[in-house]
Amino acid sequence: MSDAPFIIRTRGLTKRFGDFTAVDDLAIEVARGSIFAFLGANGSGKSTTIRMLIGLLRPTAGAIEVAGIDVIRHPRRVRDHIGYMGQHVSLYQGLTLRENVEFYAGLYGLSAADLARRWSELRERFSLGRVEADRAEDLPVGIRQRAGLALTSLHEPRVLFLDEPTAGVDVHDRALFWEWIHERAAAGVTVFVTTHYMEEVDYCDWVAFIDAGRLIANDEPEAIRRRYSSGYRIDLALPPAARERVSTRLGPAGVKVETTPHGVRLTVPGLDPELLERLRACVLEEAEGSVHVARTEMTEIFRTLLAEARR
Amino acid sequence: MNAEGTAPSPAFIRIHGLEKRFGTRRALADVDLVVERPEIVGIIGPGGAGKTTLLRALVGLLEIRASEATVLGHDLRGDVTGLKAATGYVPQAFSLHRALSVEENLRFTGRLHRLPESDFRSRAQELLSITGLEPFRGRPSGALSGGMKQKLAIACALLPSPRLLVLDEPTAGVDVVARAEIWALLERDKHRAAIVTSTSYLDEAAACDRLVYLQDGRVKADGTPAALSAATPLAPYRVWGDDPRATARAARGLPYVAAARASGRFVRIEVARALSPSPLTLQRALATLPGAMLAEPLPPDLESTLLALSRGLTPATRGGSSGGARAPGPAWQ
Repeated sequence: MSDAPFIIRTRGLTKRFGDFTAVDDLAIEVARGSIFAFLGANGSGKSTTIRMLIGLLRPTAGAIEVAGIDVIRHPRRVRDHIGYMGQHVSLYQGLTLRENVEFYAGLYGLSAADLARRWSELRERFSLGRVEADRAEDLPVGIRQRAGLALTSLHEPRVLFLDEPTAGVDVHDRALFWEWIHERAAAGVTVFVTTHYMEEVDYCDWVAFIDAGRLIANDEPEAIRRRYSSGYRIDLALPPAARERVSTRLGPAGVKVETTPHGVRLTVPGLDPELLERLRACVLEEAEGSVHVARTEMTEIFRTLLAEARR
Repeated sequence: MNAEGTAPSPAFIRIHGLEKRFGTRRALADVDLVVERPEIVGIIGPGGAGKTTLLRALVGLLEIRASEATVLGHDLRGDVTGLKAATGYVPQAFSLHRALSVEENLRFTGRLHRLPESDFRSRAQELLSITGLEPFRGRPSGALSGGMKQKLAIACALLPSPRLLVLDEPTAGVDVVARAEIWALLERDKHRAAIVTSTSYLDEAAACDRLVYLQDGRVKADGTPAALSAATPLAPYRVWGDDPRATARAARGLPYVAAARASGRFVRIEVARALSPSPLTLQRALATLPGAMLAEPLPPDLESTLLALSRGLTPATRGGSSGGARAPGPAWQ
């Protein structure tokens, strides 16, 4: 088993359907134990890429390695190491949720004892006890997504592929999903996730944007924000006497400071810990009241990226 | 609710005491919903709250019980054939004919509704151009991307210019750009039709004229997004620092913190207003949590509102005790 820093790697990954190129020369690297957001508009090639990564679809060209396995050569071998949740959670209709769980446990070769232990944990965590006896087709979408997410981890895989796990999920459950994803990552599991809720990009360690099957951005969310926006604008409400003092305190180190009718305004490319520390000191010693931070949200950045890529 | 209208015209929706059971399970109970003018009504709530069931009931797909249940003048407890012809419905699962092209799906819908050819042509052309589906008119609908499928489904629903449009999570799994286009399509029709839609996106909920919050099959709140947010007993804070996950864990231990959610650079913390210290003290307390550096109050929004509703928290009242006379506005039940 390899201990390489990257648990997923692709080189020149390409998929053509007839004369349509769905995925075009894609090179990505996913760090072990990280949360990797894979984003793009509908039809940009996200799901096709995931299906190749998990060995369900054979690429036209390129190389894929997942958890040390050459996926193109051994498409089946990778499946023991991964958990996958598709856009449409695959539960068998006509079977109850519990029967579905037993079916999947059988596929993964889980012992009865392991199944009992794992499922009681997951059932509790995802509040699925009440619907365990319901048939799959009777589960509302939000609950089906919860069940789908729980099922990805029955066999404790090292890599999770989650294709829009939060689509159609309410805000409260989305927060719980992400809390759980963060816990998995903290435990060393790598999470490869797609979403159309752009605020979720900021919950991830890394983000790759694709359009028309090609990579158009690939970096940490903050680095992308820095590149495609004017960064952060911080308004500090301050009494007149303090404005000059705070300006000089915060002024150096590439911070743009202006005075406003209510205090000072800083414009900075990023909110790094050093700057936050100095801001904290100012707020504790000087500021009477409010701090307001404004930044460009990922929705806007995504639009900018797409517009540039399609120009 | 009083109609601020002029002459009495039949309401779009007038439902009182609606109940729906599936076997022994009660999916909807005691639901009141009155829509008297064209507007966008958002149906929101946790998974399993009954949103889909309510939407299906509105278009006459379910047998229900109610003390009153008329939609566009048709009684839901009687013959609903006429209602189905007058309503546009977009269910959660894509239900158009995959083998038919974009244009053929529109034509099929036009025939079902017996639209005269000239009306069909002009209306279909209009919808193809505003949805951006024009270049794809010959493509089989099964081969469209997720966002385009939804645009086509909505275009088909809008084709006969229905007075009521019912949509079940029309934008789930749809990208930001297509979502904005779909929303613009709805906005365009909201002056002549009542639009009832479920959504899990907070930005879409905020764009509705009115929100109905369902939980456990019951209507727990009904009001404009602004009124619901203003009444929420939670105040959101954003705490910036170098270890948001540690900050979130510590925050959850504070007696006045209802929830804490870590993002990349900050933690969003929901503070129960009635229990919290003064704003300045609170700001300092939050900024000194582990991993935290700067605390920033945010204006109340729907995220706090929905969290409060899901926890059954009642609005903040001055002086602490709840109950008694309530100000008009959002109804919290």
